[in-house]
Order: sequence, then structure tokens, then C-alpha cells
Amino acid sequence: MKSEATASELENILELHGVTRRSFMKLCGAIVAAAGVSGLTVPRVAQALEQSVIGAKEGNLYPVIWLEGASCTGCTEAFAQLRVPDPASLILEMISLNYNDVLSAGAGESLEEAKSQTIAAGNYILVYEGGILQEWGGYATRIGGRPSTEILTEAARDANAVVALGSCAVNGGWMAAHPNPSNACGVQQYLTQAGISTPVVNVPGCPANPEWLVSILTDVVVMNSLPQLNDQNKPASLFDQTIHDLCPRRGHFENGEFVRQYGTKEESENYCLYAMGCRGPQTRAACPITLYNDRRSWCVDAGAPCIGCCEANPNDPGDNWVEVNAPFANRHRKLRIGDWQFEPQTLCLAITGILAVCLVIHGFGMKKAGRLDGNVRFEKKRRWDAKHPDRSIGDYDEPLTIIHEDGTKETVPAGTNLPGVPESDEAWKKQHAAQVAAKKADKKGGRK
Amino acid sequence: MDMAEYHETHPLPFIVTHWINLVCMICLILSGFYIHFPAFDGFMGVARGIHVLCGIVITINIIVRIVMTFIVKSAPGNGTHETKADIYSWLPQKDNRHQLTAWIGYYLFLRKEHPLGGKYGVPQKISYVLIPFLILFMAYTGFALWEPTSQLPFFLAGTEAFGGMMSMRIIHYFMMFVFILFMFIHVYLSFAEGGKGMMKMMFFNKEHGGLTYDMKTHNVSGEDERNLE
Ligand code: HEM
Ligand code: HEM
Ligand code: SF4
Ligand code: SF4
Repeated sequence: MKSEATASELENILELHGVTRRSFMKLCGAIVAAAGVSGLTVPRVAQALEQSVIGAKEGNLYPVIWLEGASCTGCTEAFAQLRVPDPASLILEMISLNYNDVLSAGAGESLEEAKSQTIAAGNYILVYEGGILQEWGGYATRIGGRPSTEILTEAARDANAVVALGSCAVNGGWMAAHPNPSNACGVQQYLTQAGISTPVVNVPGCPANPEWLVSILTDVVVMNSLPQLNDQNKPASLFDQTIHDLCPRRGHFENGEFVRQYGTKEESENYCLYAMGCRGPQTRAACPITLYNDRRSWCVDAGAPCIGCCEANPNDPGDNWVEVNAPFANRHRKLRIGDWQFEPQTLCLAITGILAVCLVIHGFGMKKAGRLDGNVRFEKKRRWDAKHPDRSIGDYDEPLTIIHEDGTKETVPAGTNLPGVPESDEAWKKQHAAQVAAKKADKKGGRK
Repeated sequence: MDMAEYHETHPLPFIVTHWINLVCMICLILSGFYIHFPAFDGFMGVARGIHVLCGIVITINIIVRIVMTFIVKSAPGNGTHETKADIYSWLPQKDNRHQLTAWIGYYLFLRKEHPLGGKYGVPQKISYVLIPFLILFMAYTGFALWEPTSQLPFFLAGTEAFGGMMSMRIIHYFMMFVFILFMFIHVYLSFAEGGKGMMKMMFFNKEHGGLTYDMKTHNVSGEDERNLE
């Protein structure tokens, strides 16, 4: 059968790429282990890859259109840096990158033409890099005079899926940070507003890790399905756990061993970067597992605290990684009222300080007024009651009962002065002065 | 002279919940500060352990306290033995009516005489009623931050609504200061107004004499000269 994979055919292709069978199997293992092809085993991936490579030979490459909106091309660059002939690049043999500003050999009219044909033929994947600038009719970014919003809508409508690659494409990224003059947002939000229901896979990161894209393309091209997505439409296996939970420095965190300054012994001993503002505890991504640059290293391994570049809520451009995390070295972001920015901590400490001062001053007032330590002088009648005798809350005419120290009771008429309650202001002050004097004498006596 | 305080006013179960509340709150604030910024080495695992444990205990404690307010009876005033369901002390009561401005005036030294009222005066009642909600909200934000529970849809919905984990953290942090402010005022007024007598009551369940109050006449009904310790 023609479509059946045979080892020899595959081996020919591998050989052409200078890839041994061994490293091919390693690639399959890596995809299964880290890149998040859900529920697959190494042999199945290998088999699927082999079959698709056959398919590739027959010219049935899976078409991919890669568009850039408001982007710095960093995600393309990261992707292009996958080392060749690293086995990962083999996967590129499964797709036909029909349109990419940077990587396509063609340019201008002919490239645009290739894109139109791809869209017309259907059954392709759209990778979108960069934010959507909705302001000014989308004209802030344009190709051939057409706004990129229009280009996105056109390319997304018939795609099998859209991969929003990088934090900008997920929710506008740093462009969506206050004051967001271009009204930037992400692909998912834009398409939802435009009424296009093509599924969106969100892959945040600044830049997005190329291996994550590879894993998604593998799923789509080889398994013909999207990876399992979480409720933010991010691949669950890549974005459901925090960096903190996957971090090799977690032990130092639990032991309370922190880097507090760069250039110190603690830094050289790879202690936890929490005190330097690490955003690992609140950022969900598989960076510590996938690593960057051909699995060499990642931010924390390189000694830099995570700055939370994968924080991106596709439905909320305000929840973009820059606004949420800056300044990166502080525990908290800054807050803003209008254009006034302040640190939450400063505000809290200031209010607490002011209250403490007020209470101390109040305390002196209470002391001066002789009200401290239960020396309370109750009103004889509620003030409101005195003013509204017809609707009085209290009944002030009942006789009073005095319970003496020995427990005997004595009833006196209403209005009688109780023994503990001085009649006049003067008497009250006198009583208080006597109490204070007695206390002082008590203390002196105690000392002797 | 202050009002007398009898066991009926502060039934033992509430003294127990108050103790638990107090200990948990202090542990939460101290460990919370450490989690926010670990000023010294070697304590993070323990701090987080204490913090979450106390968080769970205080949450259960406040729920128990809320349930008890419906089933335990207490006196809605100081200086009286008469009891009603404790919830009565949490709702507006006749003894306090029209007294809010009187209270504010008293605390601002605009008037010399302490307003008459129920067990909790107006400002006290307002702040105590807020506390259970604050604790429950604190628990909500806390569990939304805590990894094992943060992905439950109930907490995730809040995290999304507030704008992500960072916002949740800052809210959690702000709420802690609301507690600190409450504590400052609460402890200050307890000391300043209640004095030693009330300390012994709240911490060691010891009654003391003073003025007595009648829940029917809403007025001082006499004086109890006994030293009840
Ligand atoms: C000097 C220490 C304190 C004293 C003398 C004191 C006294 C009191 C008193 C007399 C009440 C009225 C409760 C009742 O009638 O059952 C009360 C209620 C309350 N206190 Fe304190 N308190 C102190 C410290 C604290 C601290 C540190 C907290 C924690 C933040 C706290 C939290 C509360 C709460 C939440 C209530 C609400 C009512 C209840 O649970 O019964 N207290 N306190
Ligand atoms: C009631 C249940 C509570 C739970 C489950 C809880 C849980 C947590 C957790 C898990 C964290 C760590 C967040 C992180 O950095 O990953 C945290 C932080 C914190 N908690 Fe709580 N907490 C609770 C109540 C409280 C209360 C009552 C207070 C204070 C009165 C408090 C004060 C703090 C503070 C200050 C932080 C540090 C936040 C920061 O990093 O800026 N927590 N809490
Ligand atoms: S370095 Fe960051 S992610 Fe790693 S354990 Fe420390 S705080 Fe967590
Ligand atoms: S570790 Fe943090 S800053 Fe580094 S890539 Fe991952 S999410 Fe971005």
C-alpha cells in the first residue's frame, strides 16, 4: 500500500537530513515527554511521523500561513533559531510554510498570491504573531495598503485553527498596557468580536517557545487534532502548572534560601529568586521543563527571575504580562489611579501609619478626658430621647436596684445618683483624680 | 463607672472562638508578611504551612461562629442576665437607635457622656458585622492563590474577574491591612474603653460588677457593687 510507512523510505529521508534513527526516536520521546502531545506513546508518535513523512514525499504537506500583526518578529526569530539539522526541524518537513514575512523565499505580489491560493484551497493552519491594533480602523499595521485586521479576518475565516503565537497575539501583550492608545487586543478576542468561530490555540510567551509551536503543529498535522486546551484555550499540558511548581530551585524556596542581591554567594549557589521578584509562583507555563534554545537553559537557570512573560488572559487585554508584572523586581505591580502610580505597599504602610498616629493622639485625649480604663460616664438619658420625649427609646422612670458587695439588694427611685456615678462634672473629675492618685500610690507602695 | 459584664454577655463558646480568631489572625499576619517578603532565611516552608493551616482554621472558626450566633443565646447588653439568640446582637437593636452620631461625637470629644446602647455600640456593631465577611473574602482570595485550590472553577472565576493572580495577591495583601487597621482600632478601644475588667472577661471569662442594664426599659437599671472575680 502506498500510504503505509516503510522503514527504508523513512530512513532515506532521515539520512538526507543527516539524522540517525536513534536521534529520530529521541525526538519522538521528547515530543511525548515534554512538548505535550497528550496521551501518546513514543512508538505511536514515531509511526505517525513516519506516515506523514511519506505523505510529505507525495506533496501533501499541511499548509501553514504565518501572519504578523503588530509584532517585533521575535517569535519568528525564536522559531527560526531551532538548530538545523536538529531533529525538531524535521517536523518542518511536514508543513508547507506558504506565507511568512521573514522566512518565505518569495516576496511582494507573488507571495500575496500564494497566500490567496492557500486560503482558497482551504484545510490550512494560521499562525498569527503580534497584537491586533484595533484603533484607526486597523491601519496602524498594513500590508499592501490593507489593514492587518482585514487580513486576519480573511485568513482566519477558513482556517482549520488559528495559533495565536506569543503574548501579543494572545491578548495584545505589552501594547495593551495602559494607556493602550492603539486599543490592542489578542486574536481570540478580535475574532470573537468579528463573529468568526475558528478555534484559537493560545500560546503565550515573549517570545513564545518554538518547541511549543512544534508540539501543536505535531498534534494538528500528525494526529489531526488540537491538543487539549484549558479554559483560556492554552494547551493544558503546557500551561496548567506554575513555573514555581516545576522549578528546580523550589527546594531552596521551601528552605527559605533566597538570592537577595546579584553578585552574591547566594546567587552563585543558585538559590531561589523569589526575593528578587520572581513571578514563577503566579505564572503558568512549562518553561522549566521545555527549556529554551534547544533545551539548553531557561530564565531562572540563567539566573534571571521569571518576569511572567507567559501571563496573558486572551479575554482581557488589561491582564497583559507587562502591566501585570512591572516593575519586575518588586513583589507587586504598581497600581494606578488616573495617571498617578503608586506601590500597594507604600499606600498600606502610609494608611496604617496615619491610623497609628491618630490612635496615639486619641489615646492622649482619652487620658486627658479621664476616660481610660473603664472610667466611663454614661449619659443619663439618650440625647435623642431628651429631644423627642413622645417617641423616647428608653424608659427613664423605673426605680433602680443596687446590688451591694454582700449581695443584698436595695431599690432606689429613678433619678437617684448611684454610688459609682458622680453627680456633677466636678465630682466626676474629682473621682477620677482620686482613682489616678490611688493607683500611683499603689504602684509606689508595690515597689517598696 | 463602666457597665457590669456577666457570663451571659460573653458566653464561653464565643470566648473560645475569639481566642482562636485572635491566635490565627496574628499567625496569619506574621506569616503573611514573611511570605510577602522573606526578611530572613530558612522559614518559607514553615511560614506557608502555618499560613495555610491558620487560614483553614480561621475559616472553619468563623463559620462555626456564624452558626453559633443562631443557636447560642447571649445577652444583647452589658450588665444584664437576660438572653436572646446571639444574632440579636448583630442586627440593629432598639437600644442603639439614633445613637450613631452620639457615638461619633463621643469619640471626637464633642460630647462628654458615653452614649447608652446595647452590648455593641453602633460603630462596634458595624465593624463586627463586617469581620465575618472580610474573613470569608480573605479565605476566598487566599484559596485562589493557594496552588492546590487555585484551579478550581469557583476560585478561578474570581481570579479572572479580578484580572489575574497578581491582582488577587494585591487584594489579598490589601485585605490584610484592613484587618490590621481593624485590629489597631479594636484592640485600642478594648484597652482604652473596656480596660482591665473587659480583658479579664474576654480572655479569662471573669465577670465584673458595674452598672446594670434593663433590656425592657433600654436604660441603666442600677448598680452591681460586687467584685465578681
Ligand atoms: C486586647 C485584645 C482584645 C480584646 C480585649 C478584645 C475584645 C473583644 C470583645 C469584647 C469583643 C466582643 C465579642 C463578644 O461580645 O463576644 C470582641 C470581638 C471580636 N474581636 Fe476582639 N479583642 C481583642 C483582640 C482581637 C484581635 C487581635 C482580633 C483579631 C483581629 C480580634 C477579633 C475580634 C473579632 C473578629 C470580633 C467579632 C465578634 C466575635 O467574634 O465575637 N480581637 N473582641
Ligand atoms: C483564610 C485563608 C487564607 C488562605 C488560604 C491564605 C493563603 C495564602 C497563600 C497560599 C499565600 C501565598 C501566595 C503566594 O505568594 O503564592 C498567601 C499570601 C499571603 N497571605 Fe494569606 N491566606 C489566608 C488568609 C490570610 C489572612 C487572614 C491574612 C492576613 C490577615 C493573609 C495574609 C497574607 C499575606 C500578606 C500574603 C503575602 C502576599 C504577597 O505575596 O504579597 N492571608 N495567603
Ligand atoms: S526561582 Fe522563582 S519559580 Fe523558582 S522556586 Fe524560586 S520563586 Fe519559584
Ligand atoms: S520563565 Fe517566566 S519570563 Fe522566562 S520565559 Fe517562562 S514565563 Fe517568560
